[in-house]
Amino acid sequence: MSMQTPKEIGGIQFGLMDPETYRDMSATKVITADTYDDDGYPIDMGLMDPRLGVIDPGLECRTCGQHSGSCNGHFGHIELAAPVIHVGFTKLIRRLLRSTCRECGRLALTEEERDEYSEKLIRAEELGNDPNDVLKSAVRQARKQSYCPFPDCDGVMHDIKHEKPTTYYEVQDVLAGDYSERIAEAMQPDPDDEDGEGTSPRDLAEAVGVELERINDIMAGEFRPKSDTRKKLEKVLDVDLTEEDMNKLMPSDIRDWFEDIPDEDIEVLGIDPARSRPEWMILTVLPVPPVTARPSITLDNGQRSEDDLTHKLVDIIRINQRFMENREAGAPQLIIEDLWELLQYHVTTFVDNEISGTPPARHRSGRPLKTLSQRLKGKEGRFRGSLSGKRVNFSARTVISPDPTLSLNEVGVPDRVAKEMTQTLNVTERNVDEARQYVANGPEGHPGANYVRRPDGRRLKVTEKNCEELATKVEEGWEVNRHLVDGDIVIFNRQPSLHRMSIMAHEVVVMPYKTFRLNTTVCPPYNADFDGDEMNMHALQNEEARAEARVLMRVQEQILSPRFGENIIGAIQDHISGTYLLTHDNPHFTETQALDLLRATSVDELPPADGEEDGEPYWTGRTVFSELLPDDLNLEFRSSAGDTVEIVDGQLVSGTIDEDAVGAFGGEIVDTLTKVYSETRARVFINEVAALAMRAIMHFGFSLGIDDESIPPAANEQVDDAIGNAYERIDELIERYEADELESLPGRTIDETLEMKIMQTLGKARDSAGEIAEEHFDEDNPAVIMARSGARGSMLNLTQMAGCVGQQAVRGERINRGYEDRTLSHYQPNDLSAEAHGFVENSYRGGLTPREFFFHAMGGREGLVDTAVRTSKSGYLQRRLINALSELESQYDGTVRDTSDTIVQFEYGEDGTSPVKVSSNDDNPIDVEGIADRVIEAEFDSDVEKERFLGGREPPTNLSEYAGPGLNKAQGMEVESDD
Amino acid sequence: MVDVSQHELVPEHTVLDDPDRVDEVLAEYNVSKTNLPKIKSSDPALPEDAEVGDVIEIVRDSRTTEQATVYRLVVE
Repeated sequence: MSMQTPKEIGGIQFGLMDPETYRDMSATKVITADTYDDDGYPIDMGLMDPRLGVIDPGLECRTCGQHSGSCNGHFGHIELAAPVIHVGFTKLIRRLLRSTCRECGRLALTEEERDEYSEKLIRAEELGNDPNDVLKSAVRQARKQSYCPFPDCDGVMHDIKHEKPTTYYEVQDVLAGDYSERIAEAMQPDPDDEDGEGTSPRDLAEAVGVELERINDIMAGEFRPKSDTRKKLEKVLDVDLTEEDMNKLMPSDIRDWFEDIPDEDIEVLGIDPARSRPEWMILTVLPVPPVTARPSITLDNGQRSEDDLTHKLVDIIRINQRFMENREAGAPQLIIEDLWELLQYHVTTFVDNEISGTPPARHRSGRPLKTLSQRLKGKEGRFRGSLSGKRVNFSARTVISPDPTLSLNEVGVPDRVAKEMTQTLNVTERNVDEARQYVANGPEGHPGANYVRRPDGRRLKVTEKNCEELATKVEEGWEVNRHLVDGDIVIFNRQPSLHRMSIMAHEVVVMPYKTFRLNTTVCPPYNADFDGDEMNMHALQNEEARAEARVLMRVQEQILSPRFGENIIGAIQDHISGTYLLTHDNPHFTETQALDLLRATSVDELPPADGEEDGEPYWTGRTVFSELLPDDLNLEFRSSAGDTVEIVDGQLVSGTIDEDAVGAFGGEIVDTLTKVYSETRARVFINEVAALAMRAIMHFGFSLGIDDESIPPAANEQVDDAIGNAYERIDELIERYEADELESLPGRTIDETLEMKIMQTLGKARDSAGEIAEEHFDEDNPAVIMARSGARGSMLNLTQMAGCVGQQAVRGERINRGYEDRTLSHYQPNDLSAEAHGFVENSYRGGLTPREFFFHAMGGREGLVDTAVRTSKSGYLQRRLINALSELESQYDGTVRDTSDTIVQFEYGEDGTSPVKVSSNDDNPIDVEGIADRVIEAEFDSDVEKERFLGGREPPTNLSEYAGPGLNKAQGMEVESDD
Repeated sequence: MVDVSQHELVPEHTVLDDPDRVDEVLAEYNVSKTNLPKIKSSDPALPEDAEVGDVIEIVRDSRTTEQATVYRLVVE
């Protein structure tokens, strides 16, 4: 089997094709509309001529000698009996007809104008403007002429009417049939003018300058005035003697016309004369696509079913032949024209079967045919469906579920998936035994094989029956398609793929059952949860892809997000509650407990105990947590719980480890480890923090029920008082409003002011209810722990559960809709009170009244609609943005350019840095000092060397016994710095 | 009429008068004039004397660096 040498595409040219080229590249002329003869063999010079390529396996191509599969097929051609218009070019044809002279074919522009437009065209291309604008204005200019501007030509520029899709008319003014009546009428005296006498034939003859006899002949309708006489008559009598006459332009006329257009004129119209001629837009030869482009299928009952294109070609050939026969037989012009139109219809629908104004050509069943244009167009067409996106092999999709025992770099793959997806193993001297073992295990055993490929290229299926025997035959040079095994690299993806972390490489861990398993810390980058989400997996098929995936795409390489330059992978939810419980109150653990906490990590030895309690040594939570940190880590930051976290030499001295320390989306420790240490160290840390946190949360036990959101009755009364106070203040406001005493805020009406003040008061009421509730929650309340640590939920959620749900809003205002002047029929019209406009004074735990519930549903509905609208809107916005920016590339010189080398940014991001490679915080855009210290630290082994490099400070020169450090008697013994 | 070029949010636009400076800029980025970003000659931020074909230097405050310099070609 010979492979064709790969070729590099140097460029692609688009243009028109010469009919001669069609004939040259044609393998055969097609003259018969039949496809196969009675024996099932293709007919010579028919549509399935064997010279057009082969589709049946085993047959040889009569043109190139290759077999099906390697022969791409060859074009044939049909000689059309009469020229027809190509539908794809109707607009361009119209443009050319309108802007060129019928007589001489030249563009109806003076030479200066023509040069001006061709210069404009070059300029537009240079500046990346739309050349169509220039072309259109050139055509518009040319269309204005009513005569050919060249003095050596007396051509008249008629208006061209285009009747879609493919008919063109020339609109001419000709002498109306009733010209004599019109003249006679115009010669009558004006009925409004009493003194008017009208025009006598004698006067008319004098005015026009023709003999009286001729005038009389004209008025009798016996002589048709020539065009100059007609014009004079029209002028004298102020009457229109013409009517419009539509003269149909046949394709052959148009072709003759276009042949006259000189090369230098079509350039201005946007056609390259070196490659294309306008007359080629009128088809005289029709290329017949190779059979490989329109294969016929054999149905189960042995009947052949032809492709839509073949059906259409059959129609074309039939009409073509009838046309020729009729013309040779000397059929009347009317019949010829009908046939011509029919031929035009078939060629038109062959190219595009969805033209408006033309009924689509249909299959016998009534289904519209899928012709050339339909194959390319649209979402399922060749471009969007087959080239930009395709279906792939070696992919799997199933539901995902969590597995905290996996590393974040791993993915659990169900064994049944692993047995279906394969990796190609090239058998060499060193893995022959391994390869044989795979084959021997067969397709059903787990690390088995599905196919082998012999060096001669033959592919054999491994079956339960032949696997033992086949295994002995495997030699060097064979290829074995073995199952996925632990450690293989695969690509894992969750849609929608909105950022690059939506597609990452994982290492396989083969597992029982049917779901993909992943570590919970990789949920944020995929935005995945386990409520039924499905994900896709792709097995990589060559070494280069596997290497790239391992180096660039592995999860640990994606810890830092390019969006904000901080880690996107880290502890979430229960991990954060776990570390909070472990470190917040710094609890004590016995040896057994401490070892149990660390048992899922790589730490297998405890540090020295922190002290003794009741004769037993104990370890604190912070000490246990510190075991996961590198020994030389020094950090200080504020936690989201509000205290200062201090890490000295890898020991957590004080502070709470919560979301701001280890969380996804910018956990300080994870971020620092990734940037300062390595991705690998960060990966180890995240895995171990997750494992430790899970042990910790299980040690303490963590759950919450409805009683955890309840507050004592006394507190409830306080809340009621606070709300009652607010109601009173609102009543006061309303009273003042009704008495017209309310002063309006700047830029607001009185009504708006009242609304704002009520909203403000109610907002404060809810906040104070929240404060009261918060006071009564214990520090160890699970909901409070989650809110404080940043694991899940907020204090506002708690307030609403325990204190008061608060004001419901639609469109940012209190609820004002419903009935006339009131929200519900339960209230008086124009009631301005809080409860009539959607204030919910109850808590979720206490329960809402029916009216409150209704208002709450109104606010909730708006929230739902908003999110639905926002996701679709922002999704489309992002898609458009991605498409617009996708071809931009940062160059080696630091600039960002598009494909035409136009500069978009003179320096990437204006500072030329990548967000993931820069360590920054809110105070320092870049932590230069920290980096410099670290570099120096790493560079020098001893302090002496470091001192030498940095240049230790010279002691100040001593100029006097009475000067110098420690000697300045005037100012005491203080050592003074001299810089 | 308001002179927008005096507004605090409008960065400094200057015409590169010296042809050598223009060549320098073009050489630095290895581009032809037409590969520069464009600015319409009707842009109110342009100095009075800017003409079509001129290269404009714009120095603006940047969120990532103190100052960012960009060049634009004046077009119709």
